[in-house]
Amino acid sequence: MRNYETFSTTADSGIRFRGRDFRELYGNALRGLNLLLFGRNPRPGAGAGFVAFRFHGDGPENVLVNFLAAVLELAYRDGKKVSAVDFSRADKKWLEARLRLAPRRSSPKIEVKSVTYHNLRVVEKNGVLRAAIVFDV
Amino acid sequence: MNPGPRRFEEIAPGRWRLGKGAERGMSADAEVFASRAILQGALDDASIEQVVNVACLPGLVGSSLAMPDIHYGYGFCIGGVAAFAAAEGIVLPGGVGYDINCGVRLLASSIPAAEFIAARERVGHAVLQRIPTGLTPRAICRLNKKEFQRVLSGGAREIVRNFAGDANDLEFIESGGCLPFDRPGVISPKACERGSSQLGTLGSGNHFIEVQEVEEIYDPAAARCFGLEAGRVAVMIHTGSRGFGHQIASDYIEMFRKRNLERLKLRDPQLVHAASASAEGRNYLQALNAASNFAWANRQLLQEEVVLILEEILGMGRGKLGLRLVYDQAHNIAKFETHELGGRSVDLLVHRKGATRAFPAGHPEVPAAYRDVGQPVIIPGSMGSRSYVLRGTVAGGALTFSSSAHGAGRRLSRHQAVKLAGEADVRERLQRSGITVCSLSSQGLKEEIPEAYKDIDDVVAVTVAAGISEKVARLRPLLVVKG
Repeated sequence: MRNYETFSTTADSGIRFRGRDFRELYGNALRGLNLLLFGRNPRPGAGAGFVAFRFHGDGPENVLVNFLAAVLELAYRDGKKVSAVDFSRADKKWLEARLRLAPRRSSPKIEVKSVTYHNLRVVEKNGVLRAAIVFDV
Repeated sequence: MNPGPRRFEEIAPGRWRLGKGAERGMSADAEVFASRAILQGALDDASIEQVVNVACLPGLVGSSLAMPDIHYGYGFCIGGVAAFAAAEGIVLPGGVGYDINCGVRLLASSIPAAEFIAARERVGHAVLQRIPTGLTPRAICRLNKKEFQRVLSGGAREIVRNFAGDANDLEFIESGGCLPFDRPGVISPKACERGSSQLGTLGSGNHFIEVQEVEEIYDPAAARCFGLEAGRVAVMIHTGSRGFGHQIASDYIEMFRKRNLERLKLRDPQLVHAASASAEGRNYLQALNAASNFAWANRQLLQEEVVLILEEILGMGRGKLGLRLVYDQAHNIAKFETHELGGRSVDLLVHRKGATRAFPAGHPEVPAAYRDVGQPVIIPGSMGSRSYVLRGTVAGGALTFSSSAHGAGRRLSRHQAVKLAGEADVRERLQRSGITVCSLSSQGLKEEIPEAYKDIDDVVAVTVAAGISEKVARLRPLLVVKG
């Protein structure tokens, strides 16, 4: 498995991702979602600004769903693509970060409507955290 | 021979049961209405796993059910039906889905198919131009806050009252196009923000507007009652509550997690639930009603735009075109209903996710004009195949809490469908079969190729063989506008 990849279910689409710690895990979740939405990951651009994100959840699954829902909201409501994340805190219950925005407006190629909890479990194996998220498309 | 490692037993034609003792945690049987091939497909794509997961939920009444269009969803399978006691049972957003009150509306007409075929290119372009599809930020209707709240309370009634449409339509919409909603505080500002800009939009994915020809009548009395006549045109609209319903589902899944997750033992976290009588359960049910009303209002608006287009292009008024609503039905919803169980009436909260309500003749919730034949059950096929109109049966009441299939059901993932479609032009291919297709998205068309879906004839054959519904008419697509 790569650090992040997309996959399909019969009706929907999802991403699989991994990381050696929560920063990597959450960062690769973003890259996976960007791959699904835009077909590739954007290069961080200068001067495009950032959005602060802060979430305290009941576990990494809860953090992931809310983090990716925020990224989707930026994409569909504001036409903004999150190109990178500057983490100030990332653990199993917290995510505090600056979401760096790509310089140009972008339209996602597909309509991803919701982030689901379907079979979502962050598991650790051999020191690597892994998860898969199914989106309602 | 039983297919797959799970030992389903065919207890009646098209009805397969996995007893509750088959797996740890099951508190009820799992029942799938399927042909052998459909069941095997469900075993292969793991949707049976989802039927079994629902059979593990507390307080399930009867069995965890799956209709013949079963396929893999999230939490519930698509085609899943589950009932819980109305007062002391549970409610789960995962049993409804994100697109609350996604549904189908069918209009009959007296337009001869040949007359429409001559004009269909123009109709298709006009629909695509005037009805917002896909990811567009446009909407037919931009509402201020007050107007939006009135739509949430009034559903299709509000549209007919203040925007467009015929009050006679309301009789032919499930629940009259309006479920009770009077607590705006249960809906997040984010949901309102997403919803207020999307009223009067088709959306993307499998949502569509089709103009069809009534090709074959199986039950002349019922068809006459529904206003369906062979050789005449019908219009089918498939869409739901758009981002508004999605946000409500997301909000309440989060809320249910916060309040209930720790004490719940779930096979799948998407199946998080709450007691329907709890504060959060009642709030969700209110919000669900608002989203349902939004969806009925949305389909009402789209109908009126299509009617206007047909009037303009065919040069006749609605009356002369004979356009009238046959029925509008929800297929992602949870509703309080009374069913006969073991010889007594029981109040239930029936969850249907990708399943259609199918009440029999004589049921008080069937429109008076249809009460002798039963509720119409509309089962659309893929964009290249036929659709069917069926009617609810008495037997379906006992077998499925009066539920039926909602479509053909996907067979291939979108990725597989695109790969299979290759470089071929889907529009051209369907045009050769006599179907005009209009869409702004070539990728979307590839994802929706006919091969991506089960054979609708098989799905309907099982539905009929199992006694869930009876065939009334078959429709063939003439024009497909895809979201």
